[in-house]
Amino acid sequence: MLNGYLSLVSLFLSVTISIASAGNGPGVRGARAAALGNASVTITDVWAVGNNVAGLGQVSQTSFGFYAENRYLSSAFNNVALVVATPMGAVHTEKPPSRGVIGFEAQRFGNNLYAEQRLGLGYGYRGGQISVGGRVDVLQVSIQGLGSKRVVAASLGGQAELIPDRLIFGGYLYNLNQARLAAYEDERVPTVLKAGLSYRPTSKLMLNVETEKDVEQDADFKAGIEYQLLEALTLRAGFASLVEQATAGVGFKAGRFQIDYAAAWQSALGLSQHVGVSLQWAKK
Amino acid sequence: MPLRLQGQDYVRPAADLDRLVQELFAEIQSDEVAFEDVYETLLLYYQTPLNLNTASREELRGLLLLSETQISALLDHRQQLGPLLSLYELQSIVGFEQVRSIYRVAPFVTVQSGNQNAARGPLWQRILHEDNNALFLRYERGLQARRGYAAADTTSTGRPLSRYLGSPDKLLVRYRVSHTRDFSLGFTAEKDAGEPLIWKPGQGRLGADFYSAHFVVQERGRLKTLALGDYQLQFGQGLLLSSGLQVGKGAETITTLRRSSLGVRPYSSVLETSFFRGAAATVSLHKTVRATAFFSAKKVDANQQFATDSLAIYDTFSSGISTSGLHRTTTELANRKRLHEAVAGGNITYTSVGGDFAAGATLVGTHYDVALQRRPEPYNQFEFRGKDNLAVGLHYSYVLGNVLFFGETARSSSGGLGTVNGLLASLATNVEASILYRRYDRNFHTFYGQAFGENTRNINESGVYLGLKVRPAPRWEITGYYDQFWFPWLKYRVDAPSRGHDYLLRFSFAPTKTSQLYVQVRSRTKDQNADLTPSRSVPQPIPTERRSLLLFYDAAPSSSISLRTRLQGTHYRDDGATPHTGFLLAQDATVRLNRYLRLSARYALFDTDDYDTRQYAFEQDVLYAFSVPALFGRGTRTYALAEVKCTRHLTFWLRYAATQYRHQQVISSGLEEIEGSLRSDVKMQARYTF
Repeated sequence: MLNGYLSLVSLFLSVTISIASAGNGPGVRGARAAALGNASVTITDVWAVGNNVAGLGQVSQTSFGFYAENRYLSSAFNNVALVVATPMGAVHTEKPPSRGVIGFEAQRFGNNLYAEQRLGLGYGYRGGQISVGGRVDVLQVSIQGLGSKRVVAASLGGQAELIPDRLIFGGYLYNLNQARLAAYEDERVPTVLKAGLSYRPTSKLMLNVETEKDVEQDADFKAGIEYQLLEALTLRAGFASLVEQATAGVGFKAGRFQIDYAAAWQSALGLSQHVGVSLQWAKK
Repeated sequence: MPLRLQGQDYVRPAADLDRLVQELFAEIQSDEVAFEDVYETLLLYYQTPLNLNTASREELRGLLLLSETQISALLDHRQQLGPLLSLYELQSIVGFEQVRSIYRVAPFVTVQSGNQNAARGPLWQRILHEDNNALFLRYERGLQARRGYAAADTTSTGRPLSRYLGSPDKLLVRYRVSHTRDFSLGFTAEKDAGEPLIWKPGQGRLGADFYSAHFVVQERGRLKTLALGDYQLQFGQGLLLSSGLQVGKGAETITTLRRSSLGVRPYSSVLETSFFRGAAATVSLHKTVRATAFFSAKKVDANQQFATDSLAIYDTFSSGISTSGLHRTTTELANRKRLHEAVAGGNITYTSVGGDFAAGATLVGTHYDVALQRRPEPYNQFEFRGKDNLAVGLHYSYVLGNVLFFGETARSSSGGLGTVNGLLASLATNVEASILYRRYDRNFHTFYGQAFGENTRNINESGVYLGLKVRPAPRWEITGYYDQFWFPWLKYRVDAPSRGHDYLLRFSFAPTKTSQLYVQVRSRTKDQNADLTPSRSVPQPIPTERRSLLLFYDAAPSSSISLRTRLQGTHYRDDGATPHTGFLLAQDATVRLNRYLRLSARYALFDTDDYDTRQYAFEQDVLYAFSVPALFGRGTRTYALAEVKCTRHLTFWLRYAATQYRHQQVISSGLEEIEGSLRSDVKMQARYTF
């Protein structure tokens, strides 16, 4: 039991240190984003349902993803997520799905002492060089002995190709309705705005920069680099300045499967590990 | 005006070393680093141009101006099409398409065919006829009376107050002649301000306070290098042997990360430590294997202490080696050359035929005749203690495609390990990235090593560095790095394990070939002990953040005028306290009046809240001198520099610099104290080439 309380104490420590993680924020989705220092607001894979819902608009096949994270080698900070995205309407290989893409996410953080759970439903649409998206989350926070609380948070995202295929802008506003968790001290789900640029000088290289601002925290500056070394192997690295975290990771492509791994070193709390697997359902 | 005919040969542009230094060093943040020495080594290094037709991969890397892809392309070109005929040919090589990158490297390289040494007669004739035979005389003096030079006085207890024993003049005599891959011969004598000129051969005092001399020959068949006298060594990543060429974290975020194995190099700087005195030789055992052996014996400055405790391990010991090289007062003179230091060791390196792969081992043994033992403070607990240290290291370097891997790992007698490993990668034609990881144990001891790190010495540190350089469009360059570091043991003024990080981001735009505009942000967060207050009675490290912004514009509106504007500001903050700020605005102008006269001047305003927000700005100085004063308080800084070419052989420099403070009646403290609000000094230098 003591161990449990200790992890609870260190959890709140980690909440204050790493805003991008716990505390009902937008969080990290997928080992690819984790390896890039979570500079992921311009990415368009199935994990966009959590990172920036506008990115869903370019998912051209029904895709599934599973993601697991262990933070600072403590089981109290385990985080798992399951995502699904499916295009609607006519799908061509060159064009984005004509009626947009629907995405669904189920996520759980913590253990039986403290847990955060969410169910999210998102929609992304791409027209021309612009993508837009929206999402609704049902969030539940449960603390053993204190009961649980459920709120609804709405989010909006956008992406734009400033120079086609080269320079991409992304923005994501999480919890625009400023959902309230408790009347005590007016505790609210964090309202977070992320905005970033992605520069892709070649098809094999991606450089991302992003700032993330929680209303109640200092701004975080994040940067990530992704390089496709071989057709099947991708290397990634990144960092986030506010949370003082350096990250690195690899991605493997095996047929319709994409497997990603990331490691992150927070300067005070140590190592976190992320694993993600995604599967494209339809044949290419 | 006679027209000068220009043939096939490219006329080497004058090296703009000021700009180069601006690019290599990000921002000086401390007085601890011997920048003068680094700068001088760089200057001497760039003085003898590198022959692109004979330079090895390692030598090309050492220039710090070429990317690994460019080097590979140049070597391929040389192998397939033979030696370059002229520097113009560079434009036809992949990676050199941008004229700018050729323009940048041009002052430091030549294109010559083959080894011409033999054709130029015996060695003594080559030395005699070498056209860079040069003798330098330099004189420097502060114009205001400082307390240290006042008449001796006594304290209230009747003891005489400490005073400088010598005159406030600083003197330097230097002679040097060298030719790439052939020879180097040099002599240096220096007297610092406040040091006396004493002629007492019995006490080892022969006029000037510091003498240095060297004689180096290269490329004598199997004997690749033989150095006698003062020399420097650089092997691997500089973990055990490093020669002052490291520039550390700067705006050049890729090429400076890796150290080059440059081997034995002549020493002719005036820093009175960090060199070897004795002999060193490199021989080629096989086409691919080179071995170096060296021995050095010299006396170094150190204090002497006697144990008061009868159980102490050492009856007499020294609590530290002094590296300032200043011998102005009786105390400083008493510590002069107190400790005898002997260093011996060697290196053996295998380099594959193409230079793609290299690996080697280094051994360094150090012996002091009196034990070293630092003050018994907790932060010194794992510092070196004793008379002997033996360190062994392994280093490697490997090019695979567009990626260069390198590293070095070493162990000292204490059992402490140090390791540094990294890679440089060309990810696209316009994107380069670098990563470096280092870990130096708290009990890892190296006396002549200076591998990459945040600390000035490679001890008690680990960290990860990420660097990036992007040229998104012609004329534009974006560079940046992020470095995260940890100090597992205590440090001076940090009474707990601590950590920190820093980053730099620079946007650089070059509207024309001769102008450059950049904006740079740099931020560093590091733990430091908080001030003790009634509520905080125990020393406790807290994060302190220093953030600087630099705007720099450099333009040459005509061939005879160049203008530079520099605006910089610093924001310093510790835990919740109100931030301090510092500000500096400087305008420089350089005018070349005619072939004989060049004038430079600066007018700068500075306004800083305190010493923490002090401002450093590079200043132009007489050739081979370096000036970057720390400015704090409120006032103006001006200087004027004249360079006069009297004859073909004689060049003369004259410099006057002054700092005028507002609201200040006393400048500095202790023996350096000046009454009044003006501090100024003059510097004169003559160079005679023959």
